Amino acid sequence: MESIVFGIGITALAGALATVAGAAEDTESNIGSQGDPNSQVQLAPQMGYIHRIFNKAVAGEPPAYGLWIALGAGIAWAFMAMQINPILAIVLGCGLATFIQGVYATTAYLGRTASLAKFGQPVYVDILKSVTTVTMAHAFVAIFTTVTMCHLINAALGHPFPLPLLGLIWGIALGAAGSATGNPFYGKERQYQSQKFGAGVPIAASGNIVRYAEAGERNSLDNGWYTAKLGGPASGVCFGLIVFLELWRTVLFEPVAAGWGAIVVGIIMILVFAVIDRYIEVWARKTYGPYTTPEKEASS
Amino acid sequence: MSVKIEVIEGGMPHTNIMIGGLVVSVICIYLTYLNVLTGTQLFAFFGGLGAIAAIVWGSHTIKHLCSYGIGTGVPSAGMMAFGSGLIAMLFATRYGVAAPIVAIILAAVIGAILGYVANNILSMHIPVMIQSLVEMAVIGALTLMGFAAMMTGSFELSSMTVGQVTILGLSLPSYQASLLGGALLATVFMLGGIAIQHPFNACLGPNWTQDRMLMLAAECGFLSMIPAAVMSMALVSMPAALISLIVSLVGWYYTYANYIVLSKRDAAEWLDAKPIPELEGH
Repeated sequence: MESIVFGIGITALAGALATVAGAAEDTESNIGSQGDPNSQVQLAPQMGYIHRIFNKAVAGEPPAYGLWIALGAGIAWAFMAMQINPILAIVLGCGLATFIQGVYATTAYLGRTASLAKFGQPVYVDILKSVTTVTMAHAFVAIFTTVTMCHLINAALGHPFPLPLLGLIWGIALGAAGSATGNPFYGKERQYQSQKFGAGVPIAASGNIVRYAEAGERNSLDNGWYTAKLGGPASGVCFGLIVFLELWRTVLFEPVAAGWGAIVVGIIMILVFAVIDRYIEVWARKTYGPYTTPEKEASS
Repeated sequence: MSVKIEVIEGGMPHTNIMIGGLVVSVICIYLTYLNVLTGTQLFAFFGGLGAIAAIVWGSHTIKHLCSYGIGTGVPSAGMMAFGSGLIAMLFATRYGVAAPIVAIILAAVIGAILGYVANNILSMHIPVMIQSLVEMAVIGALTLMGFAAMMTGSFELSSMTVGQVTILGLSLPSYQASLLGGALLATVFMLGGIAIQHPFNACLGPNWTQDRMLMLAAECGFLSMIPAAVMSMALVSMPAALISLIVSLVGWYYTYANYIVLSKRDAAEWLDAKPIPELEGH
């Protein structure tokens, strides 16, 4: 009984860390215009819309975060193998991983922008100086919380995988959660505030992203401020739930039927979530208007 | 059917880069064998240099392959290279001194099979697909072997599976504390996978230039070598790890500074805290 209570406590702590990680990850990627919103930021100068938005395309978020977290975990593992205190080891590992992230961000911005010289998009050095450091700060929060969570899973829950491998797996999961949950909020709403809500992006509007703010010109910090309100926390809840439910079912049901109990509970959870998702989708379509023409609606 | 949308204009032809990358990479990985001959671990950093040569070659192979309109496939090409190269590299480490050569041959076979499947069974019909996937698998295997040799001091399986654990001042061999047992290879996999795709992914566009992309590839290689050198502190002797760290820091600073100079050369304008320029018609 005591071990189960301990396990649930660790599970809750890991879920809380994952929630912070998800929120920081989404805000970081939105400030850097990483993931799918990147294509519009990249396209805008080609359509004649020169902008002052940070364009950091390192890779998709899942592989990029797979690297940052695996790197933080790998260096932390190496320092722990050298008998350094785990907390110090994790902080040092995450610090070095954040440095790598920052360097990749600057080279991605310089490379993409220099390759768009034909369309007159200038390189803004002040963007590099002011925005890279903000993404690095958010990345540090995301990397530190996720590596700490992996260390808890490994050291407290006794997961058989070594820390770097757990870091790789949960890093990819973190990037995927932030990419799937948070990006639409930035890419479809924030970049296209001038379009009608829910209208999608017609070809004529491609690249016509919002470039001017209430006062002056919009920059990526404005985008981070905006998405930190809803998109970030939504990503955090998504990743937190993934981690919490995954560990919860393992801690509680692994002793049942030699491990098969956890697998069966996992399948049941997937089915329950599929039903919930379908319900929300149908409800949203009914409430916020069908995407069909009025004539079709009348005939059906 | 795919249409080739970008042409490599000017610069070095791909064949030269391929031969140069292959030769330098193999020679550098073999230079780590000096560790065995001299009984030290001080020559481990050559493994990292071999990996960097492979990464530079790999970035150009991705450019070569992705010029057939596979724009969104750039990051996945890096993962593909390392996924196929990993099998060849791990298998080859059993063959002692012949390991790098065995890795190249085996990776080429795996790459050829994958290329055949992609082109003929999945019907992609991209002219350079088979050649590129063969190259990518070899590059993946050489990069992993280079970094593994740098972090353990040798490219043999025994050194990658046995680490040292110190308990109460007593040093004991342990699988858990080794490159494979600690899964540090997973970190190396991602380090190489991102480093190999980043140069072309970052530099693609109408004003792509070869020298800028290759400089970025070298920068990514040295940047990946820095954390690899830090992680190697747990596996090789401290002087050997420090030599790797110094070599990587110096190389990274040199390539990063040069990359910024090249970006400044190619950029439309280099502005500091200036507004959006007014263009005609907008």
